[in-house]
Amino acid sequence: MIALYNSRLWKLSSYLIALVLIVPVLVMLVGGLSASTQLFAHLWQTVLPSYLENTVLLAFWVVLLALFFGVFSAGIITQTNIVFKQQLRWLLLLPLAMPAYLVAYLYTDLFDYAGPVQRALRDWFGWQSPNDYWFFDLRTLPGAALMLALVLFPYIYMLTRGAFEQQDQSLIRASRLLGLTAKQSFFKVALPLARPAIAVSASLVLMETLADFATVQYFSVNTLTTAIYDTWLGYGDLGAANALASILMLLVFFVVLTEQRSRAGLRHQSARPNLNRELIKLSVSQQIIASVFCWALVTLGFLLPLILLIIMAVQYSDIAQLSVLLSTGVNSLKVSVFVATIAVVIALSLGLYQRLHNDKYRKVPQVISGFGYAIPGTVIAMAMLSTLGPLDHWINAVVEYIGFSAPGLILSGSIFAIVFALVVRFSAIANGTIASGIKQIPQSLDYSPASLGVNLKGSLTRVHLPILTPAILVAWLLVFVEAMKELPAVLLLRPFNFETLSSQIYQLISDEMLEQGALGAILIVLFGLLPIVLLNKSKDKV
Amino acid sequence: MTTLLTTQPLPELPAEPMAQLTIQQLSVVLQDKVILSALDLSLNEGDILGLVGASGCGKTTLLNAIAGFSKPTTGKIVVDGHLLSCNGLNNDEHCVPAEQRQVGMIFQDYALFPHLTVKENIAFGISKLKKIAQLEQIDHLLAILKLTDHSDSYIHQLSGGQQQRVAIARALAPQPKLLLLDEPFSNIDARLRHELMVEIRQLLKQFKTTAIFVTHNKDEVFTFADKMAVMAQGRLLQFDAPSILCQQPNSYQVADFLQLGSWLPCQVNSVGAQSLLGKLDIDNSSGNNGSLVYLLVKSANLLLNVLADGNTHLKANAQVEYISVTEQGYHYYLSSLDDAAMDKSMVFDKLSLYSDIALSIKQQVVLTIKPHDFLFFNKSN
Repeated sequence: MIALYNSRLWKLSSYLIALVLIVPVLVMLVGGLSASTQLFAHLWQTVLPSYLENTVLLAFWVVLLALFFGVFSAGIITQTNIVFKQQLRWLLLLPLAMPAYLVAYLYTDLFDYAGPVQRALRDWFGWQSPNDYWFFDLRTLPGAALMLALVLFPYIYMLTRGAFEQQDQSLIRASRLLGLTAKQSFFKVALPLARPAIAVSASLVLMETLADFATVQYFSVNTLTTAIYDTWLGYGDLGAANALASILMLLVFFVVLTEQRSRAGLRHQSARPNLNRELIKLSVSQQIIASVFCWALVTLGFLLPLILLIIMAVQYSDIAQLSVLLSTGVNSLKVSVFVATIAVVIALSLGLYQRLHNDKYRKVPQVISGFGYAIPGTVIAMAMLSTLGPLDHWINAVVEYIGFSAPGLILSGSIFAIVFALVVRFSAIANGTIASGIKQIPQSLDYSPASLGVNLKGSLTRVHLPILTPAILVAWLLVFVEAMKELPAVLLLRPFNFETLSSQIYQLISDEMLEQGALGAILIVLFGLLPIVLLNKSKDKV
Repeated sequence: MTTLLTTQPLPELPAEPMAQLTIQQLSVVLQDKVILSALDLSLNEGDILGLVGASGCGKTTLLNAIAGFSKPTTGKIVVDGHLLSCNGLNNDEHCVPAEQRQVGMIFQDYALFPHLTVKENIAFGISKLKKIAQLEQIDHLLAILKLTDHSDSYIHQLSGGQQQRVAIARALAPQPKLLLLDEPFSNIDARLRHELMVEIRQLLKQFKTTAIFVTHNKDEVFTFADKMAVMAQGRLLQFDAPSILCQQPNSYQVADFLQLGSWLPCQVNSVGAQSLLGKLDIDNSSGNNGSLVYLLVKSANLLLNVLADGNTHLKANAQVEYISVTEQGYHYYLSSLDDAAMDKSMVFDKLSLYSDIALSIKQQVVLTIKPHDFLFFNKSN
């Protein structure tokens, strides 16, 4: 069947939306990569090699650690008879809600020379000075990698667990009948079959790592993101910042491309999920090792940081803090509500355009608009600055020419820039959720309204949108939460005196005064829990 | 866009024995592939047409073209005297959009709205009617389709048969000029299927609804339809009453698709037709000498002789290749005997025979063809 409709207005607006979302990034890339060779030569001679090296090393360690944590915990939960399995199954997802920079701050606080752990050790053993004993230093590149891995591994855990659970049980049974034990079947059949899911989730972790700003900044590990930030805010050098952002962008592009190439032809699907499989029975010592491993991940990635935050909040909270929290909270809310609403409207418009229209290239707008998720917040922020800045100057010039007073930086100097940047970055989340909702509507439901004499408008308002309501709500909430949590783009783009929850917490962390914002930090963590609850629910339904 | 068609009742047209549906020279080309080619078809009011053909032959595309979901490349579709589609020059003016065609459709998966109740589903296409008229219509349909007890249920709470009845009620509610059914019985349990088909046929007759239903199962056509059309590769091979198609298939493909019998290759010459089962007396006035044709052999026209020990004047000409047991007795597939002298083009390997006589695999038998009204076909056209 052909797609049903051919609305020109819809077509035009779909392509226009996609264009608007992609243009800033293109402007930045063109600007950044066409920067003078002198600038590149200078960057290359000074900082770029070490920034690149740090970025790559950090990415390598984070992915390695997260794979170790994620694949093993997924294997243990799905394939063995570990005790408290039902609880661990969802507890292992919780670290996703914890921003890495919070964990980094809290653990630094805990394990510092002046922190409670080293103090207790000194009291216990009677040590006097740092020269008397060795203690690990968290504020290093491996330390940063560990912090990031502790909160990012649930991506790998979640997708790998899903892959294991959805594997065709007859494949495992076949391998058992061919003489393999349950354990051998896991390593020879289940694990290789889960490879695509592991690869996808590892690339997610990799991209999150490349996008991270606050953790590395706090640990003074200079990566490309911190370099962009310092170059722009420290030295006001837009050209160099753009060039660095373009390099980071190309790095991300390379990751996405590699991931997609490696995934091609590696899809295993099953209509018979593997639910009542035979489990590997752990011996007592294995049971202890597995339990310690899983509980350590849950504790270090979520429970301990949350407890530390709660203690801080109880000790230091006061009315003044609450009022600051309220005003930054309202700012965050405002930005997030705008971003979520716009992203959902765009996702609906593009998703339904693709579904209902008779246009050979109807997928293009949606694909383009989903591109932003791979782009780190710092890069998108640079893209906004390099596009909206000139646009503002042009608008001012035009307005003055007409004879009115110049309006100022109405685009780059207002929350417009933040909202725009976050819409570019998080459209993919709304797209994905709504596209999968649309996919679940049988194709015949597109046609049946017309066969009953109902036109496109009626079909949308009476069939598609009502059926999509749950997907719309979930998409809105997911984008809302991500927008709440997003930090680097907000830091670079916020107007003067404008703080969101996350930028304020970051500020307090940089000033070593998180106690003042513990309540806000808890709030961010709680918001972060929402999508996990949702994801877990929808996963269970399948 | 033509304004002729609205949901208001249309003015009666004077022409008397008018066809409810006329399709002329309809072709559909999608991505340089010819899906339908120059198809002609006409149905009278109240006719139920069963459209059969192998998958990919264009059945569903034909339905989609009539419903307005697929754009014809050339040709005309006229329903109840109104031109719906005439796309000679890609001119959209003569293409009535699907929602204005008054053509109803029952989809293979029923396409019921999951977020609406049974009642709301049925009301979907008649929302422009007055509330009271809507309720009357819905109650009427609920009663006829025995759905009154489920009027407030959601679709997922119903059985497959009930869901199908809702789909039918919903399609009938706007009183379409033509109802299209796309493999409506394929998801129904075999035991329930026949019962439902009879029920729905009665209903369509009661509403005098003209209908086309697509299936790949010819037996459904015999139960459900007044007329039958066989399609292959975008063409209509034959279109007539089901009984006529069975007795007088017009081509090898039609007889083969409808599995009316098995095939015996014959060589036609001046004295008659020669086959490995002997000479057949035919009037060969048309004089196509030496050509290879295929005789449609029904089991009832085959005579089986088992070779007894003393029975030496008969020479075996077939052997048993496959045996199955059916309610009509044993079902055999027989092949010709390997003989170096014979003409290889006349070899047969799957002659179907029902018999009460028990035979064993590879047993050699003598087959004779009873004189009857022989049906020969060329394989090519």
